[in-house]
Amino acid sequence: MKLLRAELFKLRTTNMWWVFALAWVLTTGIVLTVNCFNAHALLKPFAQYVSIQTHGHETVATADAAHLDHLRSDWLLGHNTITQASTIYTSGQLIGLLLACLLAIVLVTIEFQQLTATSTFLTTPRRRDVIAAKLGTALIVAGLAWLVTSAISVVVGAIFLHQQGYPTHLGTWAVDRSILLNLAAYLLWALFGTGFGTLIRNQLGATIGATILYLVGSGAAGALFTLLNTYVIKHDWVLTAQVVVPSVASTVMISPTKTFDQSPAPWVGAVVMIAWAIGSGVLGVRALRRRDIA
Amino acid sequence: MTGRAVDGQIVVSSLTKAYPGFNAVDDLSFTVDPGRVTGFLGPNGAGKTTTLRMLLGLVAPTSGTATIGGAKYVDLQQPIEVVGAVLEASSAHRGRSGRNHLRAICIAAGLPLGRADEMLELVGLGAAGDRLFKGYSLGMRQRLGIAAAMLGDPSVLILDEPTNGLDPEGIRWMRDTLRDLAAEGRTVLVSSHLLSEMQTMADDVVILAKGRLVRQGSVSEVTASIAGALHIEVRTPQPDRLVDALGPLDAQVTTAADGHLLVTGATEDQVGEAAHAAGVPLHRLAAATADLEEAFLQLTHEGAEIR
Ligand SMILES: Nc1ncnc2c1ncn2[C@@H]1O[C@H](COP(=O)(O)OP(=O)(O)O)[C@@H](O)[C@H]1O
Ligand SMILES: [Mg+2]
Repeated sequence: MKLLRAELFKLRTTNMWWVFALAWVLTTGIVLTVNCFNAHALLKPFAQYVSIQTHGHETVATADAAHLDHLRSDWLLGHNTITQASTIYTSGQLIGLLLACLLAIVLVTIEFQQLTATSTFLTTPRRRDVIAAKLGTALIVAGLAWLVTSAISVVVGAIFLHQQGYPTHLGTWAVDRSILLNLAAYLLWALFGTGFGTLIRNQLGATIGATILYLVGSGAAGALFTLLNTYVIKHDWVLTAQVVVPSVASTVMISPTKTFDQSPAPWVGAVVMIAWAIGSGVLGVRALRRRDIA
Repeated sequence: MTGRAVDGQIVVSSLTKAYPGFNAVDDLSFTVDPGRVTGFLGPNGAGKTTTLRMLLGLVAPTSGTATIGGAKYVDLQQPIEVVGAVLEASSAHRGRSGRNHLRAICIAAGLPLGRADEMLELVGLGAAGDRLFKGYSLGMRQRLGIAAAMLGDPSVLILDEPTNGLDPEGIRWMRDTLRDLAAEGRTVLVSSHLLSEMQTMADDVVILAKGRLVRQGSVSEVTASIAGALHIEVRTPQPDRLVDALGPLDAQVTTAADGHLLVTGATEDQVGEAAHAAGVPLHRLAAATADLEEAFLQLTHEGAEIR
């Protein structure tokens, strides 16, 4: 407990916390604005949607067929007040989750980057306890970040939807579930980041590595597993297996609809995320306990 | 294990740290007693930092043990209330104030936050406590290190080259501080690569070269023995007769490349008198160097050649 207090104190006494706080609030604000604009268009009848998307240059009668098909498929996916409410209330999720992961990584790696590991481990020679306190800190901060970003999105989003004449859907299980799954994702990414940072103590390496894994992991996995499926193992389960990639698992877990045609149930995504987080954490702590602090 | 553990005594026993290709610390054993300042001396790369980090549980020994008051550092319940350490390449977060650095340690160790303020005053950083660490001079950083080490009011202090980069005033402050702390009955182990510095600061010295123990004892004993280990350079037209004449002195005599003799284990006076008694003419009789620091280097260099 005193270690958790010490870690929270350490976080509060540098400028790091407000850099992260600012990043969370800014991304939420920007994405929320974009999402509200999109909802505004998508919730209109198709004819109006076409007009808004083409800035009034085209109508259903004048637009060419291919473009119209494209617009229609977007509209069909999004023309649903539950989908729009879920999207709006979890605004900024993509970057927000990455920030939770990065914060957790930095909490660990900063000890090596700023040469404070010596001081920390002299005070607390049981290194596992230090990592546990950092994990606790990362979870608390990730939880707070979820609370603040959700509060902004829900308050602004509900006012927006209501004012546009749509139901806010607060209390609709599908929407509430999206908000709660968002919290689960924040916590799991913080857990994953703690393990990852412990394993790869180089701050730049760990943060860049995690960002790449997070941002291009899904695309790369999609391409790779599709290739595998096409040329090597021609079974659908190969495509389903994409879920082993953390960012795919996370998306599978939080998205209200199927992420891709063969995607497994959301709980599979959650299990994969937990496995990654615990695996990297256990390996990281084992490595750290043996490692020389010089 | 033999004997009972003495409170505050440091016992290093057959300690070894192997790195690929060599032993940074090689079967090292020594003890450090409370109430005295003990200098841990050796040239750069001798293995001082590695030894101290093994003692503090930061580096895992390949073999051997190091205990403080009979216990390994990692087994101490409240380590910083037993041992305070100031290590090289240890630092505070550049963007955190000195006071908050100390407070974070207090919180983690369950000490009252007020200790941070008291220790800042003790080391003379009271006014600079709220400035960010990145603005601290080297001397201020060393002072902050001492403050951190003293937070738990430990009975054992371990410092790795604390005077590196300090100005003469800072060195004097460090010396006086460490002497005062030892006078209060604490164990003080302080590493250095300068014999002269330890002559004024330490009561005892442990001398290390290439990971091995070279000498241990009180400063006066060890400096006398180092001085005794000086080569004496002798030039004579009758070297064989001089070697015979020096026989009873139990000194080692070698012949240098240019023909003069190098004598160790005897003083200049003894060599001169033996030569006189035997009627051997001397053309030159001189200590190779009168500089203790150089003798120390020579000693530690010889230590280096043991392996
Ligand atoms: N992590 C390491 N890996 C390999 N060699 C090391 C490592 N740490 C120290 N050394 C080597 O061990 C020797 C002793 O180093 P050190 O204990 O720092 O000496 P000192 O503090 O006496 O100057 C040096 O030759 C150094 O290069
Ligand atoms: Mg050193």
